[in-house]
Amino acid sequence: MTLDFSPVLESWRFLLGGLGLTLLLSLLTVLCSLILGGAVGLARCYGPAWLRAPLVFYIDSMRAIPVLVVLVWTYFALPIVTGAVLPPFWAALAALTAHIAAYVAEIVRAGVSSIRPGQTRAALALGMSRSQAIRDIILPQAIVRMLPAFGSIISITIKDTAIATVIAVPEYMNRSQTLAGESFHPIEVFLTAMAVYFIILFPVTRAVDMVYLRLAHLGRS
Amino acid sequence: MRFDWSVVWANAGPLARGTGLTVLLTVATMALAIPGGILLALMRLSGSRLLAGASVSFTEFFRNLPLILVIYAAYYILPITVGIAFSPIATGLIALSLNVSAYNGETFRAGIASIRRGQNEAALALGMSRFQAMRDIVLPQAIRRVLPVLASTWVSLFKDTSLVSVIAVGELAYTAMRIRSQTFRVLELLTAMAVIYWALGYPQAKLVDWLNRRFGVSE
Repeated sequence: MTLDFSPVLESWRFLLGGLGLTLLLSLLTVLCSLILGGAVGLARCYGPAWLRAPLVFYIDSMRAIPVLVVLVWTYFALPIVTGAVLPPFWAALAALTAHIAAYVAEIVRAGVSSIRPGQTRAALALGMSRSQAIRDIILPQAIVRMLPAFGSIISITIKDTAIATVIAVPEYMNRSQTLAGESFHPIEVFLTAMAVYFIILFPVTRAVDMVYLRLAHLGRS
Repeated sequence: MRFDWSVVWANAGPLARGTGLTVLLTVATMALAIPGGILLALMRLSGSRLLAGASVSFTEFFRNLPLILVIYAAYYILPITVGIAFSPIATGLIALSLNVSAYNGETFRAGIASIRRGQNEAALALGMSRFQAMRDIVLPQAIRRVLPVLASTWVSLFKDTSLVSVIAVGELAYTAMRIRSQTFRVLELLTAMAVIYWALGYPQAKLVDWLNRRFGVSE
């Protein structure tokens, strides 16, 4: 068996465009998930009681449903309910955000609840208001503990964007499939894809491990 | 827009069979990936540089690739390199097992490493062999710590089996999407698929939370 990578090399612009879209989709998904998930997580910890039950239901439901199902449902079924058709890229962003924000919310909850209650009580005893205690005492300590988990959210997101190929978002995975079909060299195309994803993801996971080692002692209390 | 939910009941048989295959794939993958993970962890801790290096390379490789890509790659590359034509189910099972073994290996390694070295030393001092110390002292304690992590890997795996639908394995996601394209009842079928996954996955996610509370280690 001889490998012939020339179809991959000839289509490098096509693949590079896909890679750009993978990175853009990942970046936007991470940002939106941090905002949405942060809000959901804090509302779950500190919000009114009537809001907590639906938020817990949302978080646990997203932990139970495959991201593929969320993607396909958002792209194909949601327009039938709402009447608004989303282009694949925006449908993927919405679906991935809805899914990953639930994990972010769990991280926020775990981080906040890992701070001993004595910290809050001490802040209140010093005359701080509840929001001051949360903002100045709890969150600065909790965020340090959340950072490694947020880091792994980045690599999870990059991996999950590859699933957006099923709704034809022309990101790297999708372009690889197109090229594999057109060039009749699927092995070379997928070997290249494995190398490309690994080269992107490995430094991310390594950096997360290093951040964790660097910050672990700051999280102690 | 009018919905016709009877299409879901009319296809209850195929959907149930698809769900069965989803559960079967989850069980079969875990049955392969637990020994696989133990093997990777033991290689890592064996003290041999060669074995440890092979284990680390395998783990890092599969943890840093999107699973859907591993599934596609297995589908195209396996038959040519091995020379055997695998069925889609076997291909999906192999791809899932490679991925989950990598995660399990890390889980077992961390579990074993979390048992203080003094435990092992005390066992050796009492005259136990290395094998006995591992089997009777370290592993029983490590399993308690590993259990909650394995459980959440299980739930991830249950969801990830939906990805093998891209190579036409007739599990739940594939079956639902096939019936969708035959009947054009898009919303009904996709919602039924989501509901079935939710009904099976939700109790599992809750069970993981319980295991974490029951066995989770807190400093």
